[in-house]
Amino acid sequence: MYIIARNIFRFVVVILFQVLVMDNVMINGYMIPYIYILFILLMPFETPRWIQLLSGFALGLAMDLFTGTPGMHTAATVLAAFVRPYLLDLLASRDGYESETFPRIHYYGFLWFLKYTLLIVVIHHLALFYLEVFQLKLFFSTLLRVILSSILSTSTIVLSQYFVFRK
Amino acid sequence: MRTLLRFFQNNYNLLLFLLLEIIAFTLIIQGNSYQRSKLVGLNRQVTGYIYSKADGAREYFSLKEANELLLEENTKLRNRLDLISSSLDSASVISEVKGEHRYYFVQSRIVHNNTYRQYNFLTLNKGKKQGVFRDMGVVSEQGLVGIVLESSANFSTVIPIINREFRLSAKIKSNNYAGILQWDGSSPRFAVLSEIPFHVDLTEGDTILTSGFSSIFPEGIEVGRIESFSLEKGNFYDIKVELFTDFQGLFHVNVIRNYRQEEQLNLEIQYR
Repeated sequence: MYIIARNIFRFVVVILFQVLVMDNVMINGYMIPYIYILFILLMPFETPRWIQLLSGFALGLAMDLFTGTPGMHTAATVLAAFVRPYLLDLLASRDGYESETFPRIHYYGFLWFLKYTLLIVVIHHLALFYLEVFQLKLFFSTLLRVILSSILSTSTIVLSQYFVFRK
Repeated sequence: MRTLLRFFQNNYNLLLFLLLEIIAFTLIIQGNSYQRSKLVGLNRQVTGYIYSKADGAREYFSLKEANELLLEENTKLRNRLDLISSSLDSASVISEVKGEHRYYFVQSRIVHNNTYRQYNFLTLNKGKKQGVFRDMGVVSEQGLVGIVLESSANFSTVIPIINREFRLSAKIKSNNYAGILQWDGSSPRFAVLSEIPFHVDLTEGDTILTSGFSSIFPEGIEVGRIESFSLEKGNFYDIKVELFTDFQGLFHVNVIRNYRQEEQLNLEIQYR
């Protein structure tokens, strides 16, 4: 029960932080930090997959409503929520993940968290930016935006782990 | 039947994923600006309220900048007033008093602004109560900004030039040829003017104005200047236009209310 309340609280905080603070940060039009997928990253390991998918859907829908885009964030977050279990399997050490732990730096170290964040962020950004552009004419400039924004988002998310979401 | 059921049982996560993605893609494909505005319309009051609260904080930090801008605007307006009042004759003053003027400006502030997306929108802090309705033009002191998409009681959403769905008839100042102004999604500083035929003489730096062919904008509002042009598609120019409006630093705008818009539209519909 406590964990559910915590995740709902995090959902609200992450969305508000994204639309009120992060959406105002833009560096020369190419680097946009999307940190709201932090919510997907931090969901507990044991969360049933259908709940992960529905949470991803709700997260994307909330972002779409705030930014006035139709379904683009939704498609990207659902994808991110879908691939998360596979990535977790891929990144698992030999012993797997212990119960009573969460996917955080605190439990699995900086390097693990960096890899985990980077993979999900890149998948999410690829989907989001290309859906937004929806044409191949701007293929390379979009790719540049994906790469630069992924770097910015990932570093912001990893840094936030030390300051805001410490435990 | 049983195998089918088992398939569903084993793959329900994949199926749920596909279902959710189908919903999202339906939203994307169906989501033209009209439907989107209806969907967002439900939320506009809520998000508008949150954004205007946050804007209060942001405003505090940019007070100095805003002050300087306002002073600048003040002087410009005063200069223009001088110019106009000296050129006005008594007859036109009387018609103004009788309420026959065509355009009325509603001063408004931007409470939320996007510049880096493909489909950017602005939120203004004026709505139906203050006389801001659908399809009204929005300008700033620098130049043209966009068109009101939809308004609620106290807020309104604007499609700026830098939205891929924006279309406007615009003309070249020196020879009055009109084309379609659009945005190609690459940079918030530039837009594209197309459908200018190849035989027209163009010069770089020439000013682009609104044509006045639509009922939304009066004729002659400055949009931008010609940055470069090419004849790639055969018969028509592709003109790159540097926009006068700096969307990233936009703060105060004016909404144009055209008192004769309805009359003009009704007439145009009748004979279409």
